[in-house]
Amino acid sequence: MRDDRKLLVFCIWSVLGFLGMGFILEGLSRDSYLAGLLGVCTIVAAFIGHIIVNYLNKQGFEPGETALGLGLFGLICLLFVVGWIVSETSQTDYYIAITLFAVLSIGMIAYLSSRYGMRQAFSRFHIKPTSYEDNEK
Amino acid sequence: MSISEPFLWVSVCAIFYAAAVMFWSRVAALRNRNGTTWFSAGHELPSWVGALLMAGASVSGWFILGGTQEITKHGFSLPGILQAGVMLCLPGVLFFKRLWYVGQRLRVSSQAELFRVYYRSEFLVFATTFVALMFAVGFSGLQLRFVSEMLATLGGDIVSSQIIGFLIVLLLFGYVVIGGMRAIGFVGAVQAVLLLAAIVFIAGYALYVSGGIEALVKGLQAKAGNPASAVLFEVSGVLQFSAGLGRDNFYGHGGTAVMSLGLALAFMGFQTSPLAAKIVLSMKSADGIAASQTWLQAAFIGGLIVAGIVLIGAAGFVNSEWAITGLLSMMQLQSAWFAAWALIAVVAGIQLLAGLGLLVASENLVRVIYKPYFQGTLDRKATVLLTRICVGLLALIALLMQSLAPVTLSAFAGLALPLSIQLFTPLLGITWFRWITRPAAICGVGFGMAAVLLTEPFGYQVLSYVGLELPWGRWPWTVHSAAWGAFFNILSVLIISAITDRTAHREEAIDIQNFLDANFGLQTNSRVLKPIAWSAALAWLFFAIGPGLVFGNFAFGSNSETEAEGGIWVLGIPSMWAWSILFWMLGVVLVWLLAYRMEMANMTLIDVSAYEPKPRLRKNQSDKERERIRFSLGFVASVGSIIVLLAWSFG
Repeated sequence: MRDDRKLLVFCIWSVLGFLGMGFILEGLSRDSYLAGLLGVCTIVAAFIGHIIVNYLNKQGFEPGETALGLGLFGLICLLFVVGWIVSETSQTDYYIAITLFAVLSIGMIAYLSSRYGMRQAFSRFHIKPTSYEDNEK
Repeated sequence: MSISEPFLWVSVCAIFYAAAVMFWSRVAALRNRNGTTWFSAGHELPSWVGALLMAGASVSGWFILGGTQEITKHGFSLPGILQAGVMLCLPGVLFFKRLWYVGQRLRVSSQAELFRVYYRSEFLVFATTFVALMFAVGFSGLQLRFVSEMLATLGGDIVSSQIIGFLIVLLLFGYVVIGGMRAIGFVGAVQAVLLLAAIVFIAGYALYVSGGIEALVKGLQAKAGNPASAVLFEVSGVLQFSAGLGRDNFYGHGGTAVMSLGLALAFMGFQTSPLAAKIVLSMKSADGIAASQTWLQAAFIGGLIVAGIVLIGAAGFVNSEWAITGLLSMMQLQSAWFAAWALIAVVAGIQLLAGLGLLVASENLVRVIYKPYFQGTLDRKATVLLTRICVGLLALIALLMQSLAPVTLSAFAGLALPLSIQLFTPLLGITWFRWITRPAAICGVGFGMAAVLLTEPFGYQVLSYVGLELPWGRWPWTVHSAAWGAFFNILSVLIISAITDRTAHREEAIDIQNFLDANFGLQTNSRVLKPIAWSAALAWLFFAIGPGLVFGNFAFGSNSETEAEGGIWVLGIPSMWAWSILFWMLGVVLVWLLAYRMEMANMTLIDVSAYEPKPRLRKNQSDKERERIRFSLGFVASVGSIIVLLAWSFG
């Protein structure tokens, strides 16, 4: 069952993930916001597919998936900042990147709050060390 | 854009793809529990994985590479290609459900074993193995060669096609050997999704390049206005009594309605092949068969072919620079990342079929032929090891043939599907018609395969080599070799079943017949639908791929009168294309009717207990095995000598 889920997730990302990335690259290279937006929408579709698979398997994102997702998000941010510093970034490139980051950030907050509630969602990140909890008691 | 950018993107995509393939083969190897479930994934492949595997292997790289080229070259004169989605799934609807239950009952995991147990026929075992070899070496080998050359050309010949072919085969060998059938299932699901997505994407790109559907239709109308190409918008009658390709000329062209019927029969060959049986027998349950055949194969893949593949082919038909290789080349110049992804997806589709073919052919050679004949004491671990070696050898043969014997490879490739469809009569005998006797099934397959060989280049070239010139060429009377084979196959089965004892079945066969009768009888409402289903199926076959195709020439407008001349296509697309779309939709309804309402493929909830054969004493076979080894070595030496002698005599 665990392999089933992993395989499904893999299938979704191998198609939609790459297509999304391809359209974003297309948007950046052609200075086309529409192509970039299509890429962002494809990435969102991949996330929705992933969440549906999670729902069907009655589980959330696995720790490895979360780490990979956050790592990639950080890497894209870093690449964008580096690209902005070392080369010319057009207005369209800027809008595409902002759209991607905004959609991903808002999507993550929306997902966490709808799945765990606002308070619990915050607790997903705010992990208290045991000694701190003991002091509080 | 420099040439290195496309090459770089192809390399990046290839590395990601290879990493993914090796990851899933590792997962499969871990689940295989030390090789004990290497051959059939422990019969626990999920239904959806089986469905994707079947869909991907049915489509393989043929439709995107070969199918689009056929349309580019021959236009709409072979509408059998356009109905492939429905044709591909008909044998699945007919056989798969019962095949799965029979496999569970007899505890067999391959088509060859099934034939051995049910018919006690070694001929059928060898025939099945031969078909699997044709798929593994010929059919897949040719596609691999094509895609290796394409990759080399598109990569600016930085890496030669031989090296690309070697890398593709090396990866293929790696994952099949490591993970066996489970790896083929896991990797195959990803490969199938990639391939189907790539076809959709390339079709969209073809439409974009040709300027949208209106511009494409205008291009087609210009073609229809040209008398030389106007004939390619219709079938050239029902049948032409020509001596065949390479021997005789045709009136107009060779694409008759009966040629389309034969071609469609050949497509059905994949689902009667030992490769398809392997997928079915490795599945955990039969509950997804109806859905996969109806919605995935007939509806989705049928739609993909009748729309996507036709769009790609039609773009090349309108402008030869937009043929599949040209399209990918243009895509590479415009966006290297998409071209790289699409190319790797096509490679994935070909690897899916090749991997399955290699496993099935090797299993048949080692586990079904070598072990019972020559080394009955071989344990599971040694059998897996030998099969792995065999996979390597077959992969090497396929690779070498790509460079050293491309003509023979092409001849082998042409044989795979027509030979495979000949296995439908023994399958019918097991699953539906108990009156098909053992001699009838064997003779049917024998005569069918002989007819295929004699109407394909491989057969008449071999005969020509020894001085026997056949008076016909390829596909005489514009009848495809698959149809010639099927005709002689059915004729033999009917005659021989009529003159042999129809009750003389061995006990395993009788048990299976009783098991199927007891559990798969038709419900009352299905019995009422039976005549309707039969009539609908025959009518569909007649109009969609049979002689009724001639109505498609003019049903939705005239092809000879273009818009410029005042004539029109009623639906704005060529009449034969519109006809094919209509019958694809009706075909989906037909498949749904057969699969669900006639209960041919939907789930039946029954407990399948294993058949318990009567206990028999196992004799010591070691003397016989030694004798067989001596005989085989002598046989191989004699055949080798005869070939050398013939080569020396005839040049």
